[in-house]
Amino acid sequence: MDISNLESIPGRTIVRHLGLVQGSTVRAKHAGRDFMAGLKNIVGGELKGYTDLLNESRQEAIDRMLQQARAIGGNAVVNVRFSTANITSGAAEVMAYGTAVVVQ
Amino acid sequence: MSYENPPVPHEVNVTRENPLGEFLRLLIGLGLVTAFAAATLWAGGGWLARHLPFASEAALVGESVPGLELVAADEGTAVPAAIVAYVDDLTTRLAAAMDLPDGMQVRMHVVDSGVANAFATLGGHIVITRELYSRMPSENALAFVIAHEIAHVRERDPIAAVGGGASIALAFALLGGDASRLLPQVAHLVTLGYSRAVETRADGLALAALKAVYGHAADADAAIRALADAREAAATATPPTLLSTHPADAERIARLASAASAGADAVIAPLRVAWTGD
Amino acid sequence: MEFVLQVGVFVALLVIGYVFGRVAERGHFRRLEQAEKRLARILVFSERTPPPDAARMRSTLVGGAVVLGEDYFKRIAAALKSLVGGRLTVYESIMDRGRREAIVRLKEQAARLGATMVFNVRFETTSMSDPTRPQALFSAEFHAYGTALIPPRTEAPAADTSEMRLAH
Repeated sequence: MDISNLESIPGRTIVRHLGLVQGSTVRAKHAGRDFMAGLKNIVGGELKGYTDLLNESRQEAIDRMLQQARAIGGNAVVNVRFSTANITSGAAEVMAYGTAVVVQ
Repeated sequence: MSYENPPVPHEVNVTRENPLGEFLRLLIGLGLVTAFAAATLWAGGGWLARHLPFASEAALVGESVPGLELVAADEGTAVPAAIVAYVDDLTTRLAAAMDLPDGMQVRMHVVDSGVANAFATLGGHIVITRELYSRMPSENALAFVIAHEIAHVRERDPIAAVGGGASIALAFALLGGDASRLLPQVAHLVTLGYSRAVETRADGLALAALKAVYGHAADADAAIRALADAREAAATATPPTLLSTHPADAERIARLASAASAGADAVIAPLRVAWTGD
Repeated sequence: MEFVLQVGVFVALLVIGYVFGRVAERGHFRRLEQAEKRLARILVFSERTPPPDAARMRSTLVGGAVVLGEDYFKRIAAALKSLVGGRLTVYESIMDRGRREAIVRLKEQAARLGATMVFNVRFETTSMSDPTRPQALFSAEFHAYGTALIPPRTEAPAADTSEMRLAH
């Protein structure tokens, strides 16, 4: 399935515009990751645990968006955007949304 | 090129499973893990704390009695010297019979307070109150209370409790954030259980001390009965056993009575000095 | 003794939160389905390029927003799940309902204006809970906005006022 945050898929024509599709997921890190990050905060640098967590979340959000697109008959999603919201108890929501289309 | 909006499946983003199932599973699972961890931390902290030499503990604490401020002394009245001397004498006799390690000194304090209480704290300090003294039906009963507290000092129970509590607090601080709110309740339950075991051991050592000094342990149960009456008089509700640091009174009285090995000729000495109000 | 009281209050709040929270949630999902069916004729897209015939249409910014909060049961369930990590399914419902409600309100505004399509729809989600009070209940604002295309009066089907209802 083609995904793009351009207006269209280069080299293909959009035949049908199917409307908004969204995928979102809310994930929390576990106490162990929290603890390691707390220690890492003393020396600074990349918090690998959190990076991995958000990467997994983003991938899941994209997968859910594609699932919605497939369900309504699309074969590509264009104009994809992300939105991340912080939820108090150490969790974050990652949302991916775009327009499902049928391209040829 | 057509524009349309076919209906989108929204359940993709919302898992339909009942949250209650997962919640209960987590609650029970985490509860068990916490109880186990709390027991281990308490035991570990206590074991470590007991290795601090008594001399260091006494030196750190010095003359001040930790926890004395909780037993509010009534204004202005001093403890009669006769009482102090009597209690000190009893304490010395009992301590001598309890095989204290070298260098371990027990310091007794009598406090003029209207609440019946007795406790052992850091540094070998023991505190008993006027109300408790007045309610003791005999010298044997008083001796049981004193011996019980000496037993705590002997077994280093005060510092073990501090060590156990500190290690649990440290663990929660490390886990940080949410854990420190929910889980202490579970840990609290476990540490209460540990305290009850410690109290029973102190009871046993106190009985042995009474037998060494008096030849029997009669009236030890009377002491507990008197304290239970005092609590009732003060109208404080008795918490259920699971939530109490001391074993239930009735159970304790029964155990002490049966272990008294008091023959029909056991002599129960009355209190030599009465606390008259002045 | 006060320990028993504390636990009692905690359990009571949990039960109230769970029961009333579930009822409110189901009601909200039902209302959302009805509203979405009613507003199905308003098309929304996240694309920036409007169709070729947009030149003769009027256009204006439209939006819809809602603030949703959690219930006590969700908070405790999420706190427990946060210890072991993984997906917080209890919050997924809040996020989904919030977004859908925002889109419904956006479509309602578009419908009031007589529009038939909304382009370049974007979302903004903001957490409203006070970061200095970590124990505060979670709440978030969901905001959806886009550009509505309104066909000229002569061609458009009349905006159906009989279906208009105050957004709740």
